[in-house]
Amino acid sequence: MSDRSVIGQRLKEFQQREVERILGACTQCGKCNEVCPMAQYSKAPSQDAKATVGGVLAVLRGEQGSPEALGWIGVCTRSGVCVPACPENVDPKMMMRLARMTALGGRGLPKQLDAKEDRDYFDRVRAFAKLQLTDDELKEWT
Amino acid sequence: MGERVTFWYGCNVLRHGDIIHACLDILRAVGYDASPVGGPDYCCGTVRDANQTTAGGMATRTVGKLNDRGARVVAWCPSCHSHMHDFMEKGNDRQFDMTYLVELLHMNRAKLAPLLKREVPMRVMLHKHVGFNDLVPVNRMVPELLEMIPGVQVVDAGYAAPGYMCASFAVLPKALDDIHANTVRAAKACAADAVVTTFHQCYREIVGLDAAGAVPVYNYIHLISRSMGLPYEDEYKAWKRAGDGAKALIGEERIAKVGIQFYERAILPELKKRPNLAK
Repeated sequence: MSDRSVIGQRLKEFQQREVERILGACTQCGKCNEVCPMAQYSKAPSQDAKATVGGVLAVLRGEQGSPEALGWIGVCTRSGVCVPACPENVDPKMMMRLARMTALGGRGLPKQLDAKEDRDYFDRVRAFAKLQLTDDELKEWT
Repeated sequence: MGERVTFWYGCNVLRHGDIIHACLDILRAVGYDASPVGGPDYCCGTVRDANQTTAGGMATRTVGKLNDRGARVVAWCPSCHSHMHDFMEKGNDRQFDMTYLVELLHMNRAKLAPLLKREVPMRVMLHKHVGFNDLVPVNRMVPELLEMIPGVQVVDAGYAAPGYMCASFAVLPKALDDIHANTVRAAKACAADAVVTTFHQCYREIVGLDAAGAVPVYNYIHLISRSMGLPYEDEYKAWKRAGDGAKALIGEERIAKVGIQFYERAILPELKKRPNLAK
């Protein structure tokens, strides 16, 4: 019988170490937000990059994020332009990914963002596989 | 036969059986003993950001299955490749070497070049994103592969979309509209005959421009495949162009495999979807 508490435990431990590293390294200079090509699409566009980054760090700490921080987290599509812009080598792309996981409730903290779940995601993949592969290929390749 | 490799194609490329089949033929033609795996049972877990217990379990299962195969893994999907690099291997003992397909083909240019025998006369613009290139410089490597095809001329208007692939933008329609509009504008600016995508996630979205009559669209594998004389048909594009008429192209027998209700609810809307080019 599997124990759900240990499923993905090492991954969760890695994520927690990364959160702690990021919280310790980020100086909230705001450069990552300033250079982000997706920030313009946020539902709550940032007026103050430093404050917006502070809101992202709050999410990582498990606190309530500001509307600007949550808006930015919601539009991050991993452009990675933020990574070389960061003077502290924080890896803001990782920061935003972990903030997204956290805000969606994926790391066991209160949910702050709604995920648009596609209930047919895997069934659609399986259906296209049936349309595109032979029965033998389905058996051997998937 | 040469080195044994596992071709880990991912999930959503199952929309494009022609791409999977062509990749296998190309890998085998340049000397690899390639066997494919993918689909939901080999999911990397990147789509489960909202549940890290599930994502972690999927990562552990998939790394374990790939470990058991005892061969180098060649990844097709940029999401799987980056998720392995960023997360999966951090929480699991990866025991295989891993290469992204574009990198592998680029390394094997000397073996690939003599296979590209047929002319493909076309001025193409690569559909680029700013992301992923820190892990694999696809925006440089894919044009270098395309330029090996007799007749292909790669042109560029300097546009790179945000993000690392288009599927992430399905929930950000305004940004996706901008990508569509900017892609058409850039293709016109550099007088491209066609737009070529690197990733299937982009192909799935950008081929809507083809279906809407804005600009022809291909994946880079389609052009390599055509030059090699491989026989695969891009059915997804045909279905996408047909929209409501896709049912007749797919045929009753195949529709019955997925169920007509599921087809109409979950597949047909995707095939009918067209980009918003009102801007």
